[in-house]
Formats: sequence, C-alpha cells, structure tokens
Amino acid sequence: MTLNRDTVVNLAILALLVATAIGAHVLGNGFTVTLATKAAIFGLAGVGLNLALGYGGLISFGHAAFFGIGGYVTGILASHAAAGTPVATLPFTVMGSNEMLGIWPMAMLAAGLAALVIGALSLRTWGVYFIMVTLAFAQMLYYFAISWPRYGGEDGLSFYVRNSFPGLNTFAPIQYFAICTTLLAVALVFTAVVTQSRFGLALQAARQNSQRTVALGIRPYAIRLTAFVLSGMIVGLAGSLYADLNRFVSPAMLSWHMSGEIMVFVILGGVGRLCGPVAGAALFILLEHVLGGVSDYWQALLGLLLLAIVLFAPGGLIGILTQRRRHA
Amino acid sequence: MPEPKRHDPILEIRGLRKSFGALAATDDVSLDLRPGEIHALIGPNGAGKSTLIKQIVGEIRPDAGSIRFEGQVIDGLDAAARARLGLARSFQVSSVIADFTALQNVMLAVAGASGAVFRFHRPALADRKLTEPALFHIEQAGLAGRHLVPAAALSHGERRKLEIAMALALRPRAFLLDEPMAGMGLEGGRQLTAILSDLRAEAPILLVEHDMDAVFALADRVSVLVYGRVIATGSVAEIRANPEVRRSYLGEEA
Ligand SMILES: Nc1ncnc2c1ncn2[C@@H]1O[C@H](COP(=O)(O)OP(=O)(O)OP(=O)(O)O)[C@@H](O)[C@H]1O
Ligand SMILES: [Mg+2]
Repeated sequence: MTLNRDTVVNLAILALLVATAIGAHVLGNGFTVTLATKAAIFGLAGVGLNLALGYGGLISFGHAAFFGIGGYVTGILASHAAAGTPVATLPFTVMGSNEMLGIWPMAMLAAGLAALVIGALSLRTWGVYFIMVTLAFAQMLYYFAISWPRYGGEDGLSFYVRNSFPGLNTFAPIQYFAICTTLLAVALVFTAVVTQSRFGLALQAARQNSQRTVALGIRPYAIRLTAFVLSGMIVGLAGSLYADLNRFVSPAMLSWHMSGEIMVFVILGGVGRLCGPVAGAALFILLEHVLGGVSDYWQALLGLLLLAIVLFAPGGLIGILTQRRRHA
Repeated sequence: MPEPKRHDPILEIRGLRKSFGALAATDDVSLDLRPGEIHALIGPNGAGKSTLIKQIVGEIRPDAGSIRFEGQVIDGLDAAARARLGLARSFQVSSVIADFTALQNVMLAVAGASGAVFRFHRPALADRKLTEPALFHIEQAGLAGRHLVPAAALSHGERRKLEIAMALALRPRAFLLDEPMAGMGLEGGRQLTAILSDLRAEAPILLVEHDMDAVFALADRVSVLVYGRVIATGSVAEIRANPEVRRSYLGEEA
C-alpha cells in the first residue's frame, strides 16, 4: 500500500481516536474512554453500512435491524448464561454464553441471516422502494421486540456483567476500548481488501452503471446481495459490542432512528470513504456531548451541519481533508 | 446437438417481433450474421435498429420469434448469460463506468467474461489475469497509454474506443455495435473504420451505422430496416442499386 493522502488521513483519524482514549485513561477520565469506545463501535457500524451504501449504492434505511439483532443475540446469550438456563432446547440445546469470542460469531451469523432474507427481498426493488422496504423490515423487528415480553419487551433487557474475553479485564474501560478498536481496525482492513478485489470492482461498477455491468456478463443482484450480507454482519458485530458497552439492549437499537444515525455517520464522514464513518461517528459523539451540553436543540444544529455537508462537501469530512473527489 | 458447421451463421434471428403499444418497432425481422463478416444494419431514425440490438443481447424481450447463437437457442437466457456466451455489445450512447479508469473498465469486462467475479481477496489491480488482457485490449482499441485516465475524463472518441476494448475483452463470438462512430468526426471516424476492419478477424460484427462512407467501406452485407421491417439485404453494390432502398432511405446520397 502506498502512503497516499487518503491513507495518511485514515491513519490520522484512527490515531486521534486511540490517542484520545489513552490520554483520557492516563488522566483517569474513564467517561471519555467510554465515549471513545462508543465512537469506535458506531464507527464500526458505519463501516458496515458503508459497504452497502457507499460502495454498493444500496441506500438501506433498515440497518438498525442488524445492529439490534447483534445486540439482542448478545443480551439473550448473556442473560441465559447468568441464569444458567438454556436459550433453546429444540431442535438442539443452545446454552447461553458470556464469552465474547463465542458471542460475536453468533451475533454476526444471526445478523447475516437476517440480511440474507431482507436483502433477497428488498434488492428486487430499487431507489425509493428499496429504502422503504428495508425500513419496513427493520420496523417489523422493532415492533416484534417491543411486544415480546420474554426478553424485556419495551423495557429492554439488562445483563449485569459485561461478557468476558480471555486474558483481558473487559470492565476496564481502556481494555474494552482496545477490543472494540481492534475489531474496528479488522473491519477496515477487511473493507479495504474487499473493495479492491474483483468483487469490489463489480460492486462499484454495478452502483455506477448497472446496465453496463450486465452487458459484461455480471449479475448485479448476486453481487449486491453478498455486499448486503457482509454489511449486515459487520453491523451485527457492532450491535454486539454496543450491547456489551451498555450491558443493556432495548428495542431502540432496532428503531428507524438508529438506522438514521448510522447513515448520518457515513454521510458526515464521507460516503464510500474507508474511514469516513469513523470520522463521522466521532464527530457525531463529539457534537452530542459538546453541543448537547449547551443546548437541547443540538440535533437541529446537527441537521444544519448535515445539510451543509450534503450541499457543499458531498465527500464529507474525509473529502474535505483529502481535498479530492472520490475515485473508485 | 450436431456440431455447427463452419459456414453456419453465428447468429440467426427468425421472425422477431416487438411492439411498443401500437408501434411495431420490430416487425417480423429475420437476419443472419455469418462467420467473418461485417453485416451493416442501416435505416432512418426510429427504424428499430437499437430495439433489435437490445432484443439480441437480452435487454428487452421480443413478443415473438427466436434467436439462435452458435446453434443454441438463447431465448431463455438473460443478458448477463448472453454476454458470457460472447455476445459483445457497444451502446449507442457511450456506456462506461465513469469513475473507473479505462484500465478498470476493461478489467471489469475481463472479470465478467471469466465468470469468476466472486473473488474477495486479491487486489484486482495486482491480478495479472485481469490487467494483462485488459492492457492488451486497450492497445488493440487504440487507447495505448490512456489506461490510467478515468473514463469520465476521456474524450468522446476515446470513450467509444473504450467500449470497443471492453467488447474485445469479453472474448466475443459476435460484436453488436450500435453506431460506434456517432459523433466521432472525420479523423476519428477514419481511425475507427480501420479498427473495426481489424475487429472482423476476432468475430463477425453486426454494425448499426449512419455513416454511409464507413458502411460502404466496411460491410460485406447490408440490411435495410424501415419501420421495423427489413426491406432489403444484400451486398453493398446490390443495396446501392436497389430502387426501394434508394427511395426510402438513401435518397440522393446513393
Ligand atoms: N422503450 C420504448 N418504449 C416505447 N417506444 C420505444 C421504446 N424504445 C424505442 N421505442 C420506439 O421504437 C422505435 C424504434 O426505436 P429505436 O431506438 O430502435 O430506433 P433506431 O433505429 O435505433 O433509431 P436511431 O437511428 O435514432 O438510433 C422508435 O419509434 C422509438 O421511439
Ligand atoms: Mg438507435
């Protein structure tokens, strides 16, 4: 990899995030470490969405479904592990778990399966219909979670002990930050590799000119569905981490509001830019805590900022920092 | 299925019909494309030339009729499958991946032809199975040295050549070129005429073209389409001499 301007900006963003957390840790400011962790997790969710939205042009307004599924899988497994009861006994016994290494694959698998079903159906539509269909699926899950009393219904599900990771103390904010940031880095490398591969070439081609892509013997549907599933799995992992951060999951993780927020991370940071969603999520959290302290109307200011970015800097933060348009 | 003989048509179109409402855009068209030939398809604006190409490549479905490609009925295949069989198409209005470089555009075509797009690991730009053929076809189409330029930054004429390079990368068994010279200018048109003449060695060409100089210089056979119907098919000399063609299409040009 050559150290071009994009790479420098990407590394600088990650370095800033890590430096913030370490600095706060040294100063004994655990709250700020947790904020940085939240930024890493939201950034991970944004990186996941970016694969579908930015690279694939799939404007999903339903990615909260995968975020929430990842969260609920984590909460359900953890609460059963705490109670010592099996999650299911038929068709085979599934025990709870409080091991992150066991929970993450389950969360990603569940989110990936959901993405396969939702994607297979919604990718038959396009444009505004696609947006509505993905939204509808996520809302279905949201209402299902609300009306399912077994795992807390409307009130959500608390689990009192953060899940564990071998050799680490996940309660120490800086250690949990390290876990989340490492996974974020893995997801970034994964995205970089995949988007530069043959598959990534086809995905980005189908976004720009689907008719041409078909004329070259490539079917966009299968390509897009694959990207949608990978995207859902990454977002599911982010949901799992978020559940563990709060030791709590609730239907809010599945709501359209959450879908919108993940989309905001991507747009703020730069659609289709590798580290865009990380920058976007960090900025979002910064604004939430700086402006949120000044005025309850910070969301209105956020709206203005979004408007300004969309109108004047469609490349987002990364676009401003790298001073150039996106090339595939 | 018997092995197709060498002189059997590559492409056989039989009784094709397509209507848009009351308009018969394709009206009982039968047409052959033989090995090694350039078969020009001419006709006035709105005659149904592009509509015919779109049915051959599978972009739109005919109402009736049948198409055979290398002896195989392809009516049930979608556009991607037909492209993989080697039906290579260029569009009347240049259609390329604008943000991709010329090289990436042609690499995409190589990947499409290979049928192996689900490769997630290796960077495409480091995959010599993609880059080497792509660079070769870029040169073949007269774009040598321009491979790192984004398609959006290529001139109109260069984009037309890029389409040719992409068609070549499909390892075509037949070319379907919809007005490849449109808007090329005199010099560009001459260059492209030479390129198309060479292309014939790769695969036969069904060539939709308004530029009569190019058609008469290149074509082995010409079919004339008017209001969706083929009113004549023959050699260049026959078509120039055909009174009906002169009346309905060539006018004073002949
Ligand atoms: N999708 C469509 N719906 C309705 N009418 C159509 C459609 N596509 C083409 N037509 C009509 O069918 C007729 C044939 O169009 P076509 O584009 O095939 O003509 P053409 O011979 O390629 O013309 P040109 O030389 O201008 O490119 C025209 O009258 C056109 O308006
Ligand atoms: Mg036309």
